[in-house]
Amino acid sequence: MKQHIRTSFDYIRRAPFQALAAISVLALTFFVTTLLVVLLYSSHQVIRFFETRPQVIAFLKEDASQGEIDALRNKLAGDSRINSVSYVSKEQALEIYKEATADNPLLGELVSPSIFPASIEFSVRDLNFTEEIIDEVKGESVVESVDFTANLGSEAALGDVIQRLKNVTYYLRIGGVSFVLVLSLTSLLVLMVVIGMRISMKKTEIESLSLIGATNWFIRMPIVFEAINYAIIGVFAGWLAASVLLMYATPSVLYYFKDIPVLPRETADFFALLGVIFAAEILAGLFIAFLGSMIAVSRSLRIVK
Amino acid sequence: MLEFKSVSKNFGNISALTDISFYIPSGEFVFIIGPSGAGKTTLLKLIIRDITPSSGEILFDGKELSNLKKKEIPHLRQSIGAVFQDYKLISGRTVFENVEVALAVKKVPKEEREARVEQVLKLVGLTERATLFPSQLSGGELQRATLARALVVNPKLIFADEPTGNLDPKTAEGIIELLLKINEEGKTVLVSTHSKDLIGKLKKRVLELEDGKLVKDSDPVKKEEEKEKTEDKDDKVEEKESQK
Repeated sequence: MKQHIRTSFDYIRRAPFQALAAISVLALTFFVTTLLVVLLYSSHQVIRFFETRPQVIAFLKEDASQGEIDALRNKLAGDSRINSVSYVSKEQALEIYKEATADNPLLGELVSPSIFPASIEFSVRDLNFTEEIIDEVKGESVVESVDFTANLGSEAALGDVIQRLKNVTYYLRIGGVSFVLVLSLTSLLVLMVVIGMRISMKKTEIESLSLIGATNWFIRMPIVFEAINYAIIGVFAGWLAASVLLMYATPSVLYYFKDIPVLPRETADFFALLGVIFAAEILAGLFIAFLGSMIAVSRSLRIVK
Repeated sequence: MLEFKSVSKNFGNISALTDISFYIPSGEFVFIIGPSGAGKTTLLKLIIRDITPSSGEILFDGKELSNLKKKEIPHLRQSIGAVFQDYKLISGRTVFENVEVALAVKKVPKEEREARVEQVLKLVGLTERATLFPSQLSGGELQRATLARALVVNPKLIFADEPTGNLDPKTAEGIIELLLKINEEGKTVLVSTHSKDLIGKLKKRVLELEDGKLVKDSDPVKKEEEKEKTEDKDDKVEEKESQK
């Protein structure tokens, strides 16, 4: 084993430009893959954020009694499609308003709690349920109106908001996966070409080894190890470049998205995410290397021998 | 040890070997002579199962070579020390590494490999050249390096194809002396050559090929008798074993 690994490094040392070509393509593939995986993670986080924060606000009528409010609150809390139900009184609404207008205290002083309606806020487990739940809540006698926080402007655009979020995520996933697949296929082909060239260059050596009784595995091993070396170096280089870029960009990204945790805020979580991606990419890289080299070796050895 | 039974080999319409039969017992030294194109290299290729005969049988250690499975061929080649006319040394490896690779192929442990390579390089007189690459060696040294690679695996049979073809008479004599020495140690040695002068001085068995036909076997009767004796001996051993 050691001997085959040493021989594989000799092969790289003796033809460095072919090695560089293979490693560059693999590095590019895994650089893009790392960024796309993080992007998919972020999009997932955005959806999760909207799904778990209070999304629907049911504003209550002025004359709603505490008993009626509690009944509605309990009813919503018992609904399996709904979670995180909370009641916001007129006074609490005023506090929220004051916090929101902290820059201009005068605005807060001009209003009294009576102008703010009490409300019940809740989130839905799945955005697909939102429309039907809103319709149901609207039908309640104590409810004045219902709003959706993702689009506070109007309820009419609710379907569009949900659809837009779903569409963006869907296309991001499809596009990202397709792009990664195309890049992986390119890496596989480049690896096959490089290995094929290597075998052609070593035609005499392979013939000599075969004539002195080397098994097919003995001949193949250094070539397979060579491809594995390319994969490991390529994955590491691509992942490292993407990680450095992400580390540099994360503070700005987190600042821009504020409450939405598009990337992990804790350093340990951030590196855990990168670690998981690296582990998965190493496995993918080894798979590409093994598959590419085995195909190339089988094809080329048939021709050489 | 090695037996050819009516072996013929055709490449398309060209007959490389026609109806060749001979038997070589263990421990013998045999010259295979004939002009270029007589079929000597084809004979070597048949023995190491690089090619298969068009007809006839080749038996090595009692095994019919045409019946060998693909995965058994490396094992056969490991038991034959082939010295090729064009050396077949690996250009990117040193003399030491070229010899060592034959042991690596046989999965001999690294520590043992080094000792054996040093021993065999000493035998062929290449200790001083161990770290050189094939391109840095002379014709005679290349031939000796090939011989070292063949010897290091302790083969049952050594087949040297034209080992003196490109060498001056003195170096050629040195190579033949080395092969004789190896034969004295009990190895079966086959040497193919187109030089009749070389074999004149040595009283060894000669198989002469011409246009792919075996035109002369200098000692066929004796060899047949030896073969029968060996077979009788084997039969008796088998009988005794079955009686037990």
